[in-house]
Amino acid sequence: MIDPQLLRILVALVGILVFVALNALALVYAERKIAGHVQRRPGPYEVGPHGILQPLVDGLKLMGKQLTTPKDADPVIFWLAPIMCFMPVALCMLPIPFGPNLVALKLDLGIVLILAFAGFGVLSLCLAGWGSNNKWSLLGAARSVAQNVAYEIPLLLSVLSVAFMTGSLDLATISAGQGALPWQWNALLNPLGFIIYFICALAETNRAPFDLPEAESELTAGFHTEYSGMGFGLFFMAEYANMVVVCSVATVLFLGGWNGPFAPGWWWFLLKMYALIFLIIQIRWTYPRVRFDQLLNLCWRWLVPLALVNLVYVTIIVKL
Amino acid sequence: METLAFLAYVLYLAIIVGGGFVAVTNPNLVRALIGLVAAMFGVAGMYFLMNAPFVGLMQLLIYVGAISVLIFFAIMLTRPPAGGEERATSRRRPLAFVAAATPVVLLGAVCLRAFKQTVDVPAETGIKELGQGLLGTYGLAFELISVVLLVAMAGAVLLGFKRREEA
Repeated sequence: MIDPQLLRILVALVGILVFVALNALALVYAERKIAGHVQRRPGPYEVGPHGILQPLVDGLKLMGKQLTTPKDADPVIFWLAPIMCFMPVALCMLPIPFGPNLVALKLDLGIVLILAFAGFGVLSLCLAGWGSNNKWSLLGAARSVAQNVAYEIPLLLSVLSVAFMTGSLDLATISAGQGALPWQWNALLNPLGFIIYFICALAETNRAPFDLPEAESELTAGFHTEYSGMGFGLFFMAEYANMVVVCSVATVLFLGGWNGPFAPGWWWFLLKMYALIFLIIQIRWTYPRVRFDQLLNLCWRWLVPLALVNLVYVTIIVKL
Repeated sequence: METLAFLAYVLYLAIIVGGGFVAVTNPNLVRALIGLVAAMFGVAGMYFLMNAPFVGLMQLLIYVGAISVLIFFAIMLTRPPAGGEERATSRRRPLAFVAAATPVVLLGAVCLRAFKQTVDVPAETGIKELGQGLLGTYGLAFELISVVLLVAMAGAVLLGFKRREEA
């Protein structure tokens, strides 16, 4: 009666939501611990052994808080934004192949689907900034738009270069097309593409040094200044889930997906993905935030031309 | 399955019509934009229903992800009062109605004449065939569309420069 394909997607969606929630807990803990150790302090330490229950307690606190809508804010837009920010992320995980058969939705256009739904994030940040009726929020939204226009093009071009190499937009095919050993991975065959993708991924997830839309030292909290309780919680979960998505895509496109020197499987995928997330967290606590004009200059003057050159280079190599 | 498809069709149609209605009638520009986004979303759903996932995803990527963000950017540059009335004078309403109705009548007539009503799901066209079709068989039309875009862009830049000289 029920289409097995539909059932598979429903089961996968539930699994993905659980995965996203658990990930948010684990990554918040990792983030705070790494931040602590980078700054030579222990980080959260009191709740549970080595503070391991801290994120759980934080989550409960967020859920218990009152949801307030600012005066004169647009209530529809204000509450639409966090939901719109969170929902597409779950969809983005559908076509990601964690293992040779561990994929929710087998689709020839997997990477296009992820890119399409990733675009919703910026729109939701804009709506959050606009709907809050707050100058800081609006500034955050304005920055988010300009940043999005700047990084999206090199991001798409670097993804396109990998699509040229494999001749496919299917994430499973791209994974399978790369060998087991590191020098058979696209990251080493197309290093410029990988670097461009990684820089743009940092901007896509609004992580330091490109966290201009929230910039807590300049804009209080940017687009989510006015959100309390789970309104903020949804943005927060979406940010961490977004990190998982961009790192998963990087793993598939450039690091050989589930392939490894021995015993290929989903554990290799998770290992590479979390290694990338660890790198992103370390970058946040190591480098200062770039200025706005620096980000735009970097994207338009360096990344776009370099990505175009890289695309030509890849095309020539593939044709040869 | 057929009833399910019909239900999906009705749902997407409702989203498109409702979104379009909000986009046209809402006095607040940002809320009107939300309506427009909803309508575009519904159109993407229609593409999925017609078994054209590539076109549907492109609809989402380009219109929902990029164009709407640019429209938002343009709205922010005009800086209207938050929550205020932004509706322009309604003198041009009949003209706008004519401008909107012309393509509806023309395209609708073409669609009714040219395409038979079917209940079968059309066969999915792979992206490979789609690409070859666009750049091979329909190459001229494809290039013409890009020329139209180029002209529009050049025109916008020209208009922008003229405004600046006057100011």
